[in-house]
Amino acid sequence: MFKKDRISAVRRELEAVVGRQNVRTDEAEILMYSYDAGMARGRPEVVVNFSSAAQVAPVIRVLHKAGLPFLPRIAGTNLSGGTIPLKGGAVLNLAALKKIRSIDTAAGLALTEPGVVNLELQKALEPFGYFYAPDPASQKVSTIGGNIGENAGGPLCLKYGVTADNVEKLEVVTPEGEVRTWSYRDKGPDLMGLMIGSEGTLGIVTAAWLKILPIPPHIKTASASFASLDDAMRAVTRVISAGILPRALEAMDRVSIETALAGRPGHFPPGTEAVLIIELDGHDAVKVKSDLEAVHRICRDNACALFRIAGDEAERELLWQARKGSYPALARLAPDVLVEDGVVPRPRLPEALRRTREILSRYKLTAGLLFHAGDGNLHPNIVFDRRDADEVRRVKKAGYEILKECIDLGGTISGEHGIGVEKRVAMNWLYGKAELDFFHSIKRALDPAGLANPDKILPVAAEKPSPADAFTSQDRYGLSPAARDVVDELRLRASAGTRTAVTGLGTRLKPERIMEGARPLDLSRLSGLVELDGENLTAKAEAGLSMTDLRAALKKAGFRLDLPRLSGSVGGLIASKVCPEIRSLLLGLDVVTAEGALLQLGGKTVKNVAGYDAVRLFCGSFGAYGVILSATFALSAGEDAPAGDFREPAGWDLFEPEEGHRRLKRELDPRNLLNPWVYGDKA
Amino acid sequence: MSYNDYSADENRPAHAGGQHSPIPVHFHSEINELYQPEQAELHLASLLTDLGERNLYDAAAQCSRCGYCETVCPTYMLTGRETLSARGRNQFVRMLVEGRAARVSDSAEALSTCLLCGACSSACFARVPTPDIVLEGRRSMTGHGNGLFARAAIRALLDAPKLFAFWLKLAYLAKRTGLPRLAAKMGLYDFIGMPALSGAEAAVTDAPLRFAAELLRRDPELSAGAGRRADWGYFAPCGPNYIFTEVAMATVRVLKRHSGQGIFFDNQCCGLMAHNYGRLEEAREFARRNIARYEELRERFGDFKVIADCSSCAAFMKSYEQLFTADREWRPRARAFAEAVRDILEFIPPERACRAAGGAPGEGAVTYHDSCRACHGQGIRREPREVLRKLAGDRYRELPESDWCCGGAGAYAFTKPELSSRILDRKLRNIASVQASTVVVGATSCLAQIGGGLRRAYPSAKAVHYSVFLDAAGAEHEKNVAR
Repeated sequence: MFKKDRISAVRRELEAVVGRQNVRTDEAEILMYSYDAGMARGRPEVVVNFSSAAQVAPVIRVLHKAGLPFLPRIAGTNLSGGTIPLKGGAVLNLAALKKIRSIDTAAGLALTEPGVVNLELQKALEPFGYFYAPDPASQKVSTIGGNIGENAGGPLCLKYGVTADNVEKLEVVTPEGEVRTWSYRDKGPDLMGLMIGSEGTLGIVTAAWLKILPIPPHIKTASASFASLDDAMRAVTRVISAGILPRALEAMDRVSIETALAGRPGHFPPGTEAVLIIELDGHDAVKVKSDLEAVHRICRDNACALFRIAGDEAERELLWQARKGSYPALARLAPDVLVEDGVVPRPRLPEALRRTREILSRYKLTAGLLFHAGDGNLHPNIVFDRRDADEVRRVKKAGYEILKECIDLGGTISGEHGIGVEKRVAMNWLYGKAELDFFHSIKRALDPAGLANPDKILPVAAEKPSPADAFTSQDRYGLSPAARDVVDELRLRASAGTRTAVTGLGTRLKPERIMEGARPLDLSRLSGLVELDGENLTAKAEAGLSMTDLRAALKKAGFRLDLPRLSGSVGGLIASKVCPEIRSLLLGLDVVTAEGALLQLGGKTVKNVAGYDAVRLFCGSFGAYGVILSATFALSAGEDAPAGDFREPAGWDLFEPEEGHRRLKRELDPRNLLNPWVYGDKA
Repeated sequence: MSYNDYSADENRPAHAGGQHSPIPVHFHSEINELYQPEQAELHLASLLTDLGERNLYDAAAQCSRCGYCETVCPTYMLTGRETLSARGRNQFVRMLVEGRAARVSDSAEALSTCLLCGACSSACFARVPTPDIVLEGRRSMTGHGNGLFARAAIRALLDAPKLFAFWLKLAYLAKRTGLPRLAAKMGLYDFIGMPALSGAEAAVTDAPLRFAAELLRRDPELSAGAGRRADWGYFAPCGPNYIFTEVAMATVRVLKRHSGQGIFFDNQCCGLMAHNYGRLEEAREFARRNIARYEELRERFGDFKVIADCSSCAAFMKSYEQLFTADREWRPRARAFAEAVRDILEFIPPERACRAAGGAPGEGAVTYHDSCRACHGQGIRREPREVLRKLAGDRYRELPESDWCCGGAGAYAFTKPELSSRILDRKLRNIASVQASTVVVGATSCLAQIGGGLRRAYPSAKAVHYSVFLDAAGAEHEKNVAR
């Protein structure tokens, strides 16, 4: 299939870096790295084993020079074909890079290599009384490197955020073999954030500084059994909108429970169709207790058959084992499992569920349903046997239809498992041409040779949308008249080649910054609160709205933003990144590019790993990558806690772009039309 | 090669396996590109898995590649290579069966490095029987099972046990008289499975010149009295019989002390060695002879439990049925025998073991190593711990990674010395971490491997067989009573 000499030409160079026994081309090794936990298959031409993280960059340089594709792989538990070498080349096996280099409780950071298994890190942290929040169900086997590559979530991300929210800093080897260290606090567009969830297509993480947290002194776990899944879902929505934020809120259906608890029946009453696992934590025992009572009440009001508080650690362990064992346990039913990973706005879960079940029964398929219910993330795990060609066809169709329903309900196609190769085509249904072109330009900017895990995430030429797929288009964005004016104005300026200085409330843009010939674009009229979805706990605000006004409007409706008291406009705060933490509440952005393309990035769901994390990329973009029209934030229910005034860091605008920033600028705004002074004309 | 040429057969009858709770085969395929039908004799007709009876392909295909086995597979944990992982090995055999991997020889490294410890199956929700699948792969390798030792020793053990015993004694004599190299040449260490230690500090410090069977045959308490019933029959596995005679004698004393009347089974080798070294036909013959012997004894003494004091043998005998799935006559007989087999580790309930015991012998901390074929092969974890906790009280310490293989694994230490010693080192580190002075084990391969390792690296601790430990506790008690 591949020309053999592609490897022999570089073998000696590779061996010089990692040693002879670690450059493997024997048939056995090639076969063993041609699969992962998904359906796709592809043979690498060489497998390189590493014994030190310092070997990664030199190996990448050799491969880059030779034009050989490569991808990182560790535990190989990917569920979307992300670690399948579609174009041959090298699989870089980082499994032996499994040192925890330091645990610094004072700084709240753990420094690990990519091959550290998630659960091993947790075990290492426990004696210090700390934990690392992302806890994917696969944590027993999946690794930090893989978790970062997929932006993994897990039950605890409901309260503590996904991987992207829990990484402080990354050491990355770029696709050209340069070593970079990026933090989300760095000035300028968030390159670290862009790496997370990029599935090895933009670079390879060789070290990660992870945020670690003290284990809360009070943790209560309860299970609630329901005779109907719908009742359980209603309880979930009620719990969240009551302003209770459990540390985890998980749901399982009957098939999942029975499979996972095989041999240990009797924990749940007969006739149980759904079980919720609810875990609350906190420093205040009284508050935890009263929250638990409130949850109990809500469950009872929604026809809960049995509400049980785990009496001891063993019972808690049993519940979590059942939850986290649900996927691997399905291997008892059939040898293959399609783990779907759709996300919908939380209140739409019952509807998503109804449609999912309808699809499954139409295709005569068995599935265990699992939900990160609090996040609106659903995993219908469809069991099948890949040796049954007809069944495989039905499974694929059903999987795609489920994703289309999620999109239809305002959701997305992956919450935490990634796109890989298996959901590539579904990107066409979620995004329009503008967004896909935008993602492609990110990839081109950071991996111009196209060698880093090629043909992943983004649809390839053969998958260009057919007219039937184009049921989502830009028309769906209901823009306000003011926003439409801004789009039209920018399109006009783009065709005329006019340069623009983006201004909002005048907080950030210093007059002396405006270069000659840059025409101001005033966004202060863009000041609407487009949508306040109290049930879903999201709000969409236009860029020119002042943060103070936004807060006031939210307060009136009984909601709050968990941020310090920031001043200035919504757009300005995001673009200037004076408070980097704003990123963790930011779910979606509407942006106009320099060339006038309208992008809708992210959305209303708290989890979304479809495509690159461009929302975070715009944090700190200083208006030079695109003009932010509006932003969607995640809210909390309840009164504003009295927060002190926020002290803006001095010199927040002293941004010295680095190579990655410049390359992105060249791709996204090649004529340097937007805030041209940020990059200057040498960009 | 016909990857897509499968035939669905949904009406396939549910398997006839006894103790397993069958789950209907989701899909079934008869494809087998691993070996030709005429070689079927060299292979198992089917595997008795936790999910029911499966052919090799269906059993291997049950793996969903979730990867949970990689968290416990010693060779993967040490190397980080998929090729040396349980999932990898299983996928490899699957690809061979499907014809997607063309040459069996390519799998040599992957399959030969497997310890057969079975930790993967314990971690697997579907209990995919990877060790059995690996053995099936090995059996199709050219020349496998035709090595000089395998052929000669197994034939001798089968057909001329006396000749075998004589030869072994000669080897022991050679060793005792200071000719360890001659002993090595005579295959002594191959047999023990500890050849890597055949240097100065051999695993066997005290080579016996009188084997357990010879001693036990002469024990009047164990021989047939007219109309006598028996509660147990002691089955002497090769390790206790030929190497660690004191273990066999201790087991018998423990059984006498705690479990009523018994007999000596006067058995043949259980056949595990033949089975694992690719001589399946001979393994079946060993099994048939032991089964026939069991039936004969049952006629005379009524129902009794067959007690073995090497977990590898006990686990293997419990799986005798799998050898005969295509044999209508022997299959039910094998199952009946298997159901009577008990590991000494599970046989003595704690209240009995402690009733006549005088506390744990020796001094210092006591810990317990889960022999692979006890914990993974038979699911025995709780029973010996309960006994030891009761006997040793607060001297008992739980061993970290207690079910991590010691690397003994038959002749593994000889064939893969580098991997084996890294596996053993981890075990020794864990033992040192609890500052144990006594490590209780239940299989003779572990006894030799851990014992040898401790003598080299941590001489203040020693490996002790479970029976020996219980026996010493009992003897202590008797001494106290006499006083």
